[in-house]
Amino acid sequence: MPQPFLQIDTISVSYGKNRVLDGIDLDIAKGEFIALLGSSGCGKTTLLRTIAGFAMPVSGAIRIGSRNVTTLPPDKRGMALVFQSYALWPHMTVAQNIGYGLKLRRVPARDIAITVAETERLLGLTGLSHRKPAELSGGQRQRVALGRALAINPEILLLDEPMSNLDARIRLQVRHEIRALQQKLGITTVHVTHDREEAMVMADRIVILNAGRIAQEGRPETVYNHPQTGFVAAFMGAENRLILSGGEDGDVIAIAAGASNAACRVPRLGRVLSGGQIEARFRAEAATIAEMSPGGAHQGEGLVLSGDVVDVSYPGGLWRHTVRIGTEMIQVDAPRAVPPGTAVRITIAPDHLFLFDAPAGSPPPAQPHPVPVPDEARVLEASPF
Amino acid sequence: MSNRPLSLILVAPALCVILLLFVVPLAASVIGAFEVGDGFGLGNFVKASELYTQDAIFTVVIVSLSTALIGIFSVAIAGYLTLGENPRTVAILRWLYRWPMFIPFIVTGQVLRTFLAKNGLFNNVLISLGAVTPLEAESYLDWRGIVIAFVWKQTPFVTLLLAGAMASLDRSTMEAARNLGASRLRILFEIVVPQVATTLLVGLILSFVTMMSVLSVPLMINAQSPTMLTTDIAFRINAYGDYGVANALGLVSLAITSVVAWIYLRHGVRKSL
Repeated sequence: MPQPFLQIDTISVSYGKNRVLDGIDLDIAKGEFIALLGSSGCGKTTLLRTIAGFAMPVSGAIRIGSRNVTTLPPDKRGMALVFQSYALWPHMTVAQNIGYGLKLRRVPARDIAITVAETERLLGLTGLSHRKPAELSGGQRQRVALGRALAINPEILLLDEPMSNLDARIRLQVRHEIRALQQKLGITTVHVTHDREEAMVMADRIVILNAGRIAQEGRPETVYNHPQTGFVAAFMGAENRLILSGGEDGDVIAIAAGASNAACRVPRLGRVLSGGQIEARFRAEAATIAEMSPGGAHQGEGLVLSGDVVDVSYPGGLWRHTVRIGTEMIQVDAPRAVPPGTAVRITIAPDHLFLFDAPAGSPPPAQPHPVPVPDEARVLEASPF
Repeated sequence: MSNRPLSLILVAPALCVILLLFVVPLAASVIGAFEVGDGFGLGNFVKASELYTQDAIFTVVIVSLSTALIGIFSVAIAGYLTLGENPRTVAILRWLYRWPMFIPFIVTGQVLRTFLAKNGLFNNVLISLGAVTPLEAESYLDWRGIVIAFVWKQTPFVTLLLAGAMASLDRSTMEAARNLGASRLRILFEIVVPQVATTLLVGLILSFVTMMSVLSVPLMINAQSPTMLTTDIAFRINAYGDYGVANALGLVSLAITSVVAWIYLRHGVRKSL
């Protein structure tokens, strides 16, 4: 990694006795676009506000280059924040809103007018100078908020869920506009969002926060394909979750047969498991579904589950099946609908199967049960594990 | 409409109260102001203007000055409650500022009478601080006393309205200004006050009208001439039984408050456009 430009050094923040951020370490390079991703209450907005100077850390430091800005007030940090609510001043026109930061810096009125006009052109707001925020659409307001932040030419741009108040369709467009703008200006950007896809398409690097700590950070494709914890896997869309038994066995991970799964061996792919209970996670689209054919042994490698289709719906593109696996329900996508009530075999390829040590307190995996089961399952149970 | 008689019955009590307690007495006063001897004329107004023009000006100046001071103090207090960064002083101020609201005007007059007198607590404090010598001590029981009483009594009311309006503002509008480098004073006057200007105007107008109608404070604090119109009205009635001039003075007061009400309505109409 190049020399960090914005350095967040073991930052901890508390509200009263409540520890909101716990030892956050993050180095951000100049010009990098970082997405802070997490669910409500994970501390992502607090981290952004701490970087901006609106929240004081109880320990740790924030540095820009070699400058320690931890105790500096918000306006002395060379950062501009775009608020979730936009926070436009309703009594000022578009031009006054955009130019206010320059007015505070005692820039001559003529130069303010030039910068405001440039910013308006950059953001497609030309002709709206004299409108008040109440007379603008949601997308226009959002751009005024962005313009107000960019007008002071900050070194770092902070975005606090700037798209959560926009219509879904406009949001898709604005994502690309902001990203293109950021690349054009080369401005270091920290973007808070709870929208995984938004983070994936916009950011150079994603930082996933959970309960005040960094759960994982990395390039979008790395975090998506190699989640390091069950939480990250779930956040990245691997919502299907099963508890299995098994452990490492040399270069492979051996999964024991259970009530609804065959024993199998999958490559380790760098995974480290302590053995015992395993939390298995996978995406709905990563599994394949096939009707159970009597007597037909399963082919191919990976985890094979047996279950019944409970429900099928069409969200668009693929058919989404809800499948009962023992007592658990999972979602499986397939190009072809399988009617409810059908006994099916679900196969998950090893590289799409995320395996973690099951968290303490997880219910034990269901044991192979002695009651009559379909032929297929009996065959699976006969496997040596 | 089939339920029209029923709706008339429902509003009848309220209508009667307004008619009997407000419209009829007001009409009687207005008519009374023009009654001269057996007929009608402007005699009462001529007499009122001869005797009390100075008092009318005095009243407008006192109430306007008080309104201006109330505006300044309430913006300062509400602004500190909204933007103050020391939670303890904010809490103390929040607890303290409301008290005068619960004290009647007459008690306010009584308290300030002893406080502001030549040998009152205020002068004693100034003397003990060495700010004035006992010989220089003067009574504040004149126009200054009235202004102090009005401001003391009405500032909490306007502050209450204003602090509520400021608290309901989107705080991020203040943080956004802070983020761009605005000082707290600039945030107060360039970001916060413009957004609560209507509330401030309403509070000040209500205070203005209230102060125009207070009798006890000028009576207790300023027992000299010039004084306020309310005192003159009471004097005309109590000393002379002269309802004509009293009614004329009442109409003058009404005209003054009407100007303020007009400003309020005009602003309200502009807002709704």
